[in-house]
Amino acid sequence: MINLLKIEWLKIKSYTGFILLASFFAVGVVASNYIVYIFKRNVLDQVEASKLIFSGSPFDFEMVWKTVTYYSSYFLILPALLLVILMANEFNYKTHRQNIIDGLSRYDFLKVKLAIALVFALGSTLIVIITALVFGATSGSSFSVNGFENVGYFFLKASTYNIIAILIALLTKKSGVAIALFFIYTIFENGVSLLLFFLAVKIKKDNHHDFGNLGNYLPMNASDGLLTSPFDQFSGMTRDIIPSDNNKLVLACAIVYIIIFYYWSKIKMMRSDL
Amino acid sequence: MVILCIENLTKNYKAVKALDSVSFSVPAKTVFGILGPNGSGKTTLLGIVMDVIKASGGTYNWAGNSGEANDFRKKIGTLLETPNFYHYLSAEKNLQIAAKIKGRGEADIEKVLKIVNLYERKNSKFNTFSLGMKQRLAIASALLGDPDILVFDEPTNGLDPAGIAEIRELIKKLYIGGKTIIMASHILDEVEKVCTHVAIIQKGILKSVGSVSDLMNLSTVSTNILIELSATDNTALKNILQQLDGVLSITAFGNDLHINCIESITGEKLNRFCFENGISLNKLHVKRTTLETRFLEITGKQSDK
Repeated sequence: MINLLKIEWLKIKSYTGFILLASFFAVGVVASNYIVYIFKRNVLDQVEASKLIFSGSPFDFEMVWKTVTYYSSYFLILPALLLVILMANEFNYKTHRQNIIDGLSRYDFLKVKLAIALVFALGSTLIVIITALVFGATSGSSFSVNGFENVGYFFLKASTYNIIAILIALLTKKSGVAIALFFIYTIFENGVSLLLFFLAVKIKKDNHHDFGNLGNYLPMNASDGLLTSPFDQFSGMTRDIIPSDNNKLVLACAIVYIIIFYYWSKIKMMRSDL
Repeated sequence: MVILCIENLTKNYKAVKALDSVSFSVPAKTVFGILGPNGSGKTTLLGIVMDVIKASGGTYNWAGNSGEANDFRKKIGTLLETPNFYHYLSAEKNLQIAAKIKGRGEADIEKVLKIVNLYERKNSKFNTFSLGMKQRLAIASALLGDPDILVFDEPTNGLDPAGIAEIRELIKKLYIGGKTIIMASHILDEVEKVCTHVAIIQKGILKSVGSVSDLMNLSTVSTNILIELSATDNTALKNILQQLDGVLSITAFGNDLHINCIESITGEKLNRFCFENGISLNKLHVKRTTLETRFLEITGKQSDK
C-alpha cells in the first residue's frame, strides 16, 4: 500500500488543482470560523437580547469542537471535488487503463483511490483539529476533550463525501459530467432531505410517532446530520414539534452507506471494461 | 515455449461480436503480427489479454500464468491503442510513475528516453508533445525495465516516415536481441517488413495464423510472379506475351498490362523477348506475391464498413 500511495503522490503533487483546492479548503476553514468569531463578538455580543439567547462563547472548549467542525464541514465539498477531478482525469487521460496494463491490479487501482479518499479525510480533519485548538486556546478557556466526538463525525462526513466523489467519477468517467452530477446530487439530496424532514414533522404531529429526521437517513445527510449548529439554543423550545436527532441510527446509516459505496465501487471497477 | 495462449476468446458488445472464438498461440522469440482491417477486433483482443477489457468467453494465459496475472503484466512492455499519460506531468515524471508500477528502478528512464530521441524533452509536459512524440514516449515507457515481451498496438501510428523507419528498426533489433514482440497493425507493409508470424483477423474471426513464410506459401498465387508492364501498343504487346511459355494470365489494368507468370520468367527474359519481337517496353515492374496479395485473398477485397 505504501508503494501505491507513493505512486499516487507522484500523480497528485504536481497537479495545480490539488494545490489550489487544498489551499482553498485550509483558508476556507480558518476564514469561516474567524467570521463566526467576529460576528459573535462584534454583533451578537453587542445586542442585549441576543446575549441572553446565545450566551457563552462558541469558541470556548468544549463548544469549540462543535463550532469548528460544523462550519468547516461546509468546505468538505472542496476535497470531494478534487477527488472527482483526480479520478475523472484518470479516465479522461485513459491512464487508468495504462496503470492496469503496466501491472496494477484493478483492485489495487481502486484500493489506492479509496486510501487517498481516507488520507484527504484525515488531512481535512487534521486541519480542523488544529483550527479548533488555535481558536480554543485564543478564547482563553481551558483545554477539554469533551465534545471531541464532533471531530469523529467530521471525519465520517469527509469520508462519506470523498467516497461518493470516487463512486460518481467511476460511474460517469467524465470530469465535467462527474462534477455536474456531484453538485446536482448534493442539491437533489438536500431538497429530498428537506421534504422528508417536513414529513417527519407531520408524522410526529399527526400520529405522535417520532422516527427522527427522516432526511438524515439519506447518504450525504446521514453524515451531515451528525454535525449540528452550535447556535441550536432553540431546540429545547421546539422539542415537541421537531423530530429527535436519533444520532445512533444516523451514525449507523452513515457507516452502512460507506460500506455500500465501497462495494458498489468495487463491483464497478472489477467487472467493467476500462 | 508459448508466451501467450488464447483459447476461444469471445467478446460481445450487445449484438456485435467483436471477437468470435479466437484461438492461437504466440511462440517465444518471434515478432507476432496481428493483422486486420480497422474494427476487426485487434485492439479488443489485446485489451482482453492486458485485462482492461473483460472477455465474454474463452481464456488466455501468459506463459502459463492464467487469468489476470497482474505480476506477469509488470514484465510486459505495452503500448495499447493510444499513448496514455498524465497531461500535466513531464515525460520523465510520467515514466517515473510507470517504472514504480512495474516495480522497476528509475535508472532506465534516461536510457529509454534516449532510445526514442526524447531525452532533450524529458522535462517538457506531455500536453506539449506532438502526436509522434507522444507515441515515442509510449514506446519508451514500454521499454522500461528491458522486458522480454513487448505488446505494440499500431506502434507507428502518428509517426513521420523517419520515425516509422526508426521504430521498425527498433522492433527488428529487439527481435534479434531475443525479445518476443506482439504487434497489432492494419498496415500490411509494416507487418510484412517486421513480423515473423502473423494472425489475420477479420470481423472478429481468426482467418489465418502461422509464420509469414508459411502463410505466403499457402497462397494460391504465391508461387507466381506478378509483372506490370506497358508499351506504346499494348494490344500488340498482349499478342506477343500470349506466345511466351509460362505466362498464365494477362489482364489490362489502366495503361498497363498485368501478367501472372511462373517464377522462372525474369524481368530480363521478358524484356529481351519483347525486344526480339519488335516491341520496346516503356514500363517493366516485377512484383513478387506480397502479404497484401495473400491478405486480400483471405479477407476479400472490400473494406469492413
